[in-house]
This record gives sequence, structure tokens and C-alpha cells, in this order.
Amino acid sequence: MSKEKPFPEYRRKLGPGWWLANSHFTQYMIREWTSFFVAVFSLIYIYELSLFASGARADALNLLKNPGVIAFNVLALLFTLYHAFTWFYLIGKVQPIKMGKTTSKPWQALLVNIVLLLIVSFAVIEILVLR
Amino acid sequence: MSQDIATIRVTRYRPEKDGKPYFQDYKVPYRKDMVVLDALNYIKANLDGTLTYRWSCRMGVCGSCGANVDGVPKLTCASFLHEFKGRTIKVEPLTHFPVIKDLVVNMDDFMHKLVEIKPWIIREKESPPEEGEYRQSAEELERYDQFSSCINCMLCYSACPVYGLNEKFLGPAATALAYRYIEDSRDQGKAVRFPIVHEIEGVWECTLVGECSVVCPKGVDPMLAIQKTKILGATNALKSLVMPRGGGK
Repeated sequence: MSKEKPFPEYRRKLGPGWWLANSHFTQYMIREWTSFFVAVFSLIYIYELSLFASGARADALNLLKNPGVIAFNVLALLFTLYHAFTWFYLIGKVQPIKMGKTTSKPWQALLVNIVLLLIVSFAVIEILVLR
Repeated sequence: MSQDIATIRVTRYRPEKDGKPYFQDYKVPYRKDMVVLDALNYIKANLDGTLTYRWSCRMGVCGSCGANVDGVPKLTCASFLHEFKGRTIKVEPLTHFPVIKDLVVNMDDFMHKLVEIKPWIIREKESPPEEGEYRQSAEELERYDQFSSCINCMLCYSACPVYGLNEKFLGPAATALAYRYIEDSRDQGKAVRFPIVHEIEGVWECTLVGECSVVCPKGVDPMLAIQKTKILGATNALKSLVMPRGGGK
């Protein structure tokens, strides 16, 4: 028997706007976009460090005070927090912990991780910045 | 019992005539207990005998009647018409699969993937039947139980944009089934299945969209199975590094 199909099948391709099809996809894509903001933030940060290292302290401080850089940092922070919170929630979904007869819920993992994030952040600020 | 009229907008694709799919509207009288599959059957029986779609059990067990209903992958036998009251109900073939005719998609790729993960219990050495069945405790059963409820309806593939972008991706249902056997205490086929699920187009292609678990009509959580398989693979690789003489088994 011939394997050739008598009529062509119709193949559909995922369009560039697929992530707008439902809110879950949109939330997922926003989380993925975080990498862009983190990458740009890291590049600015490395550039600032190189300015400090080369002795151009004034230029580095000017860059830090630049309204555009401040606005970008705020945006990057918001995206990073969104990424962290949605990821913490997913940790609870992927690694539920059995406690006797019940199993932990994703929101509990979110809460525990937020508390841990705050503790670690304050510890880092205390040790590295305020000392 | 009173009857309302639903407008069903169905994708039509007749490869012998049409270059590409188009929508066709049908008016279907319905009662509160009717589902989208009933509407399709009504159209086929009374309005247009050429409409083509798959169905079988009519009770959410066989997994044949999956379609995109109002843009969401659903079993048409489990989607009540009254839930869409006042709206035109769009019924389209499952996304990401090639369309053969109307709502019928080509399932070959999915079927190959199911076979690929070897969905049966693999034993290093079979015990003779007189020794009895391979016994298992309730706790051992619980480890994989939900993943054995998959009905192969392919809704999870239709919901997965990763599969839409790369059809080589092993995908949600096949991985869930692989995990079901990996976690089965009677199975000894990890060494056979691990290379399949951990290849480049295997579980590592998943970027945690999670929609597969949202649309599953049987409460299976393929996203969980994929992430658990990733964890098992990573742990195994680490053990192999630390204990090269059999640590990764």
C-alpha cells in the first residue's frame, strides 16, 4: 500500500501573538521577559563596576543617579519580584511536602519563600552594606 | 423541557476541495443537559452529514472527542452548551496537530511518542507466573496513581506552546506516562526510559508554562510529572558523578 497521503493535511503554525490567547500564557511570557531585564541590569551593573575599577568614580555615581537608569532599575526590580513570586508558587506545585495526611499547598510555599527572601535580603544588606 | 438555540461555529476543512480551513455556522436547538458533542451529532444527523469529527464513549473515558471549544482544549462530551449561553461556540480542531479533515487531526506523532517511552512494566527478569503477581503497597501505588489516569486525549499537547513551537518535544502526556512507570515499584526499566525522557527534546525542553495540567480533564498533572522527572534525572546525574560505580542507578 502506498504511504503517500491522498490529500494534503493542513498544518497550522503558532503565530507571534500566541501568548495573548489566554491569561496563563501572558503571565508565563511576562515571567520569561524577566531574563531581558536581568540581562540589561547585569550589563549596566558590570559597566558601573568597571567605571569604579578604572577610577572614574564620578561617572559611575552620575550613571547611578541617571533618571533613566533609576527608572529601568525599578522596572527590572518589579519584573524580578514577579518572577520570584510566580516561581515560588510553582515550587509549591512541583515539590509539595507531605505533612502527615495532608500535603502542602502552593501558596504556603510562596509564603515561606517570601519570608526566606526577606530574611536573606536583610542579612545581606546588614552584612555587606550597613557594616 | 424548554429548548434554546446555540450557534455552533465549526472549522471545516475538506482537503479535496479547500485550500485552507474556514468556519461554518450551524444553529442547534439544545436542552440544558446537552454537550458540544451532542450538538456536533445533531449537525451530522440533521444539518450536514459531511461534518467529520472523532468520538466514541460520550462519557469522558475514551479521549477521542477532544477539540478546541471557545479557544480552550476540551473534551466536547464534557462541555455543556448552556455554559456558553448567548455566545457563538467556536469548535476547532486541536491546536498544533495537522488537520486531516474538519475536526479530525493526525495523531501519528503522539502515538509514536507513546510507544517510544515503552508504556509497560519492564522487568530485568520476569518471575514465573506460579510465583504470583508483583505485589505493591498502597503507598507505592499512590506515588504514580494519578499519572495512570491519562486517557490520551491530547488536550495537554494542544495546550502546550512548547510543543507548538517544537513538535520533537516529547510532551506532557508521554512524559506523564513515562513517569508513571518510572515511579512504579514493580518496574525496573529506569535505565531504558531515562535516556529517552532526558534527551534534548525530552523533559528539558519544558519551560513550565503549566497549561497542560490546567486543561487535563482527568486531573492528571503532567507538569508535575515533567518536573519530577527532571529532578530524578538531575539527582541521578549527580549520583553518577559522586559515585561513578553504580551511584546513578
